[in-house]
Amino acid sequence: MRETLAKDPYNIVITGVGGQGNVMASRVLSNMLVRKGFRVTIGETFGMSQRGGSVMSHIRVSPTAVWSPQIPKGMADLIVALEPIEAIRVLLDYGNPSVRVLVNLRAIYPVGVITGEDEYPSEGTIRDAVAALAAEARFLAATEEAIRLGNPILGNIVMIGAVASLGVLSIDRKLFEAVIRDGMPAALVEANLRAFAIGQAAVA
Amino acid sequence: MSLDREQKEGSEVLLMGNEAIARGALEAGVRVAAGYPGTPSSEIIETLSRFSEAGKLYVEWSTNEKVAMEVAAAASFAGLRSLCVMKQNGVNVASDFLLHLTGSGTRGGMILITCDDPGALSSVNEGESRHFARLMEIPLLEPADFREAKEMTRWAFDLSEAIRNVVMVRSVTRMSHASGNVVLGALPAAGGKAQFRCDGPVSDPDRGPMISTPVIAKHRLQQEKLRKAAALFEDSPFNTYEGPETPELLIITSSVCTLYSREALSLLRAEGRAAILKLGTTWPLPPALLKKHLRGAEKVLIVEEVLPFLEDQVKILAAEQAREIGIKTFYGKNDGTLPMVGELNPDLVAAAVGRILGIVSPAIPAEYREKLQSLTAFVPKREQTFCPGCPHRASFWGIREALQRDSRGGFVCGDIGCYAMASLFPAAGFHTAKTLHSMGSGTGIASGFGKLGPFGMEQPVLAVCGDSTFYHAAIPALINAVHQNADITFIALDNSGTAMTGFQPHPGLDVNAMGEVSPKVDIAAICGAIGAPVVTGDPFALIETRETLNRLLEEPGVKVLILKQSCALSPENKEKKRFLVRVDEALCRGEACGCNRICTRIFRCPGLLWNRERKKAEIDEVICAGCGFCAGICPAGAIRNEEAANS
Amino acid sequence: MRDWESDPAGQESGRGGQKELEEQVLGAGLCTGCGACVSLCPYQTIYHDRTVVLHSCDLAQGRCYAACPRTPTDLGSLRSGLYNETDCTPELGALKGFFITRTTDEGARRRAQHGGTVTALMALALREGLIDTAILAEGGEGLLPRSITVRDPEAAGMPGGSRFVVSPTVAEFNRICLGNAAKIGVVATPCQALALAKMRKWGHDAASYPHFREVENGIEKLHLVVGLFCGWALSWQKLAALLKKKTDLARVTGMDIPPSRYHTLEVYTTGETVRVSLDEVDPCVREACRTCGDMTAEFSDLSVGSARLPEGWETARSWNQVIVRTERGMDLLELARDRGVLEFRAAPEGNLEKLKAASLGKKRAAASRNGKR
Repeated sequence: MRETLAKDPYNIVITGVGGQGNVMASRVLSNMLVRKGFRVTIGETFGMSQRGGSVMSHIRVSPTAVWSPQIPKGMADLIVALEPIEAIRVLLDYGNPSVRVLVNLRAIYPVGVITGEDEYPSEGTIRDAVAALAAEARFLAATEEAIRLGNPILGNIVMIGAVASLGVLSIDRKLFEAVIRDGMPAALVEANLRAFAIGQAAVA
Repeated sequence: MSLDREQKEGSEVLLMGNEAIARGALEAGVRVAAGYPGTPSSEIIETLSRFSEAGKLYVEWSTNEKVAMEVAAAASFAGLRSLCVMKQNGVNVASDFLLHLTGSGTRGGMILITCDDPGALSSVNEGESRHFARLMEIPLLEPADFREAKEMTRWAFDLSEAIRNVVMVRSVTRMSHASGNVVLGALPAAGGKAQFRCDGPVSDPDRGPMISTPVIAKHRLQQEKLRKAAALFEDSPFNTYEGPETPELLIITSSVCTLYSREALSLLRAEGRAAILKLGTTWPLPPALLKKHLRGAEKVLIVEEVLPFLEDQVKILAAEQAREIGIKTFYGKNDGTLPMVGELNPDLVAAAVGRILGIVSPAIPAEYREKLQSLTAFVPKREQTFCPGCPHRASFWGIREALQRDSRGGFVCGDIGCYAMASLFPAAGFHTAKTLHSMGSGTGIASGFGKLGPFGMEQPVLAVCGDSTFYHAAIPALINAVHQNADITFIALDNSGTAMTGFQPHPGLDVNAMGEVSPKVDIAAICGAIGAPVVTGDPFALIETRETLNRLLEEPGVKVLILKQSCALSPENKEKKRFLVRVDEALCRGEACGCNRICTRIFRCPGLLWNRERKKAEIDEVICAGCGFCAGICPAGAIRNEEAANS
Repeated sequence: MRDWESDPAGQESGRGGQKELEEQVLGAGLCTGCGACVSLCPYQTIYHDRTVVLHSCDLAQGRCYAACPRTPTDLGSLRSGLYNETDCTPELGALKGFFITRTTDEGARRRAQHGGTVTALMALALREGLIDTAILAEGGEGLLPRSITVRDPEAAGMPGGSRFVVSPTVAEFNRICLGNAAKIGVVATPCQALALAKMRKWGHDAASYPHFREVENGIEKLHLVVGLFCGWALSWQKLAALLKKKTDLARVTGMDIPPSRYHTLEVYTTGETVRVSLDEVDPCVREACRTCGDMTAEFSDLSVGSARLPEGWETARSWNQVIVRTERGMDLLELARDRGVLEFRAAPEGNLEKLKAASLGKKRAAASRNGKR
């Protein structure tokens, strides 16, 4: 029995920097949606982009059809950014007046910023820009929460929890638990569940 | 979350294209799988290795793609189903053997899986493997989605056994690394015994020797096999037609371009005006099928990546069939409707279709676009560089300082691996690496430069080569350099793994693809046996490395320096820090004359930050890998290493 | 110290960083190997007698350029800050006194190049606490000399024997002046003495070099500069290549150039003495030396060279000629006389004139070379 979506296809971009758990986040979210009976396409690039480069996962969700792994320009419905300027970078190509955006505020400086050639915009500038370009914008300190839980990479799960709270996809903690118990060693499940809950609460 | 043994037949799972291919092979009863790591293909062997089991499935990371194909061929000759996997340029490496294999034919079904990389997302070329199917006269299949990736791979084994030849299944990055819903099929019971029957005459396909001679007879036979495949393709369920019977525009497409084409028609709301003939069997083209659909439209757009392979072949067919189907207007790459380089996407295809049909794609409101422009000017680019703690950064730092001291304009011939970044991004390699081509070519090129001394060349010549690349292709070039007495310094960057593609094992490690203990093949011993003097060092020991290099650069002949230090992402190092590194602000000279931020401006490890407000360098504890190398670079001794209490 | 003429912006055109240093000096064949641009930072180093850029520094103004003796320099302003006007001669720089001396230590004299005056003076200065650290040159391996830092007066007596190849003395000064040394004495070639004088100038002229104020200097620890007469220096690479053809480098114990009529470089070994025609040696001269007009190290406290005496070279070769330029230099020489460390003899009639003529000769040759550039 399939549920309906706000749009067909519903287009999600999960973006960040290589090493932030972008791929894991998109898998978890997509597996949750497959369990709900949707057809999902994930489009990703790995390889070179892992070495400090930007990473994007495009997730297409549909009740019936298999859509292309690349979202057409300007057609994102939800952007989940594990890193702040990646949110802007994705908005540049895939943003539109009705997009929703979730942003993890922990910056990862590009090499150009580290070396002093480029400037990293202030948090205020980023917040203003995202708010101006999105129908709904939420900002989280997901990495900080994850560090408190013991591992910075859990930031990606915090963000998934936040997606659940948004209400655009009917996913919940129970579904999340079913998915991760299936794929993860038992020792890690607890921390992941807590991360998910924190994300949910942050956007409630 | 990915393919594993616990998943049951009939369950619907989210699989990556590569996993779907692997599953298809498993469902077909593959017994032997061999490959060489290459993005976007590597997950196929990795997935299969999780299912490996003595006597049931043997999985191997071979030293290179040619050997991988030979290993798979042997299994086929012995009656087992086998596959070999490689990225696009791997086929080039294996092509000489492929030429002869397709002449001798095969026995157990054998598949060649190639994963091309249009747009060179993870390659230094966007070469194509499809042409090899035509050149080598074997069938070519291209899946258009994830379910098909599995089904096609499974069926390909049947086809291979029906025609007694290799079948090529071609994927692309956007298929291999994308994921979608797949319903798992049954896994077969164990297969038969391996036996190479070779006591019959040459002409006996089941019991004769496996050779490509007599060439003319075998070639004729090979072409018969291909015609048989073409006949089977006329009714293949992998070729589908959707849309009006006599459309304004017929789109002929394959692979992931099918999804782009469908999405393009949806964006333009043109499903009523255009039809899609999606071909899963792209060589040889089934002429009757094509004739049937070409008849129905006057305008034909061919959508594919990268080169106009389908386009050219369809046009040839259309010319042959012109009397029956009429004159067509073709759109594609040759006329500039679609770009001849790079990968495609729904927007490019929509623009092409829109131009042909006179439809304007829906666009984002102008007001929003303006907001985008004005608000997003400040996004800094993200360039690629070596990971924090990477021994290559240290190696190239040592090489740079040694070359500058040497003062004769020396340079490094680069090669493929993470250290290729030294060639791709000059600042990452500190402006030392100046050539980059295919695997092992750095050593061969250096061997050539090293003989130009009598022509007046005074510049010292270096070659860098990773450990995996060494086994793959550099050994013959190194033998050449020694035997020809070339003046080169060969530097093996041994980080104990095939790092760029995901840390697959190689012969320098004592473990194989299936996780079993296996004998190490020692690089130093090989170089010594070839006859070059060998020195081993640690790239993190800057002063020793530099002094050794300066000494070697002045000696004639081939000198081998092995810089051995494990990769920062390797299992033994990941998330472990050898040192806790911090900057003593009081000592940091920052931008002043005497330092001018050498650590953040030149060395550029992502773990080092320049704090613009305090005008001091800092360590980012989350990113720093704790290798401690930067402490040796700071002229003020402001970077301090403290031994970490480690787990 | 005298009043330094402050440098009106641009007069010296001495504003530059590594980029200008490379364009104007390193890449133009003008580098003397003095070491002034080295050991200040990680960007330059001296390797095998070559000044080498390791990495690119993009500062618009650097101490390397400011200290380099081959970047545009207002010599008049430099002189007036260090010396009395009345002492200055056009041929030899400041001249408070002219002496013929040699060490009274027989053993030292045997080991010395000529009169052993330099080592005697440095050892004396250390013993008496006038300096606590001396920077000297010693023969290194394969004729490549290195700079060494000495605190023990006995050790100061050891080095000796010219190799005609410059050691990067100023680099050693840069390295140690930020450490524990409080009073440093340096034995310097003319170019090195000039570099040190330039460093003294901007050490005092903070207004002209405000950004250098951030950097700890150490130049005020420089207490004594003993200059060496110098006709030219040789490129180590070329010299080593030349001598390798004539003898085993490991057996070389010293070198000297007798008065010009001999036109020879004498190479002393553990065995025989090898004589090399100066015609063969000339191509080994450092490019930068051909445009240098300073024969007597005009920016020192006192300068020392080989003597010329009416008795001839066999006698003269064991004496030194000394030009004293500053009060400090004079005090040291007098102290040497008092302590019986140096033996003095009267300067023969015409010696000073001959020295002036020789020095002018170098200035003229340099000027005509500079004109051609």
